[in-house]
Amino acid sequence: MRCDEFKPMLTGYLDGELTPERSAELEAHLAACEACRRELAELTGLKEELAMMKFKEPPDVELERYWRSVYNRLERGLGWILLSVGAIIVLCYGAFQLIEEMIKDPRVAVLLKVGVVALVFGAVILFVSLLRERLAVRKVDKYSKEVER
Amino acid sequence: MEESEATLIRRCQQGDEEAFGVIVRRYAGAAQGAACLLLSSYDDALDASQEAFVRAWRHIRRFDAGAPFYPWYATILRNVCVSKMRRSGRRRTAQLADSHADPSPDSDPVLLAERNERRDRIWRAIRELSPQHREVIVMSHFQGLSYKQMAAALGIPIGTVMSRLHNARQALKKGLAGEEL
Repeated sequence: MRCDEFKPMLTGYLDGELTPERSAELEAHLAACEACRRELAELTGLKEELAMMKFKEPPDVELERYWRSVYNRLERGLGWILLSVGAIIVLCYGAFQLIEEMIKDPRVAVLLKVGVVALVFGAVILFVSLLRERLAVRKVDKYSKEVER
Repeated sequence: MEESEATLIRRCQQGDEEAFGVIVRRYAGAAQGAACLLLSSYDDALDASQEAFVRAWRHIRRFDAGAPFYPWYATILRNVCVSKMRRSGRRRTAQLADSHADPSPDSDPVLLAERNERRDRIWRAIRELSPQHREVIVMSHFQGLSYKQMAAALGIPIGTVMSRLHNARQALKKGLAGEEL
């Protein structure tokens, strides 16, 4: 193997992520290669510096405010779900009643009835199609999945 | 006595919001810091870290209570940050059409516990990295994710994680050398 092929392995070696066989292979190369030893020393130095950098712990008052804000979002999330479900039920029920009345009413022109029925079917097809597309995208979009535990 | 994380997670899974509050307070600092490095904006970081906690709460029932919470949360946070970057990228493109205003990255606070000149330089150098390099540096060094966890979060093989992290560290070294000139 050439030096270039060993270089990415230095990172894995430093992080303890190489298999014992790969580590032994790299160690044998390091024993003979001054440039790779130097690079490993530099990377070790950088890793140590980064390890010293810790994020500051917010004071209690700020943490409380932060949690309140998260809590409000949790609560509002439920509120939005209930509001949306309620609105969909009310709208669908109202639309169904309206259309049923109109279709039964002999005074309404047949052409208008056909138009309204076509409108409803068109809306349902579009909705189902969009829903299916969203679900299909969700399955393949790596950014939408939360995580592998 | 401080409750173990596994106990807290189990309480969360039963709908106990107070237990979730304990977890949120425990990781809020780390979450904001990591998001700040990823997004280069304190306000966006605050919003993203909170949004990620909300998503974690929504999916907490599917989480294995015996596993550590933070690596799981870190992956959710990364996904929220990526979505935010995509949206702000689109917004910035629209804004650039109108003006050339670009907010200074130095206007945001550096969320480090102990600061000195060298650490501030490293902070700046990380923020100068490409998003792809920045995220592996943040995940590996500031969030403690293993290569396996990073591979799962990024949807790439472990070998690619290793080479990407190597390139990111090289870029960071180069960036720091450039700053010191």
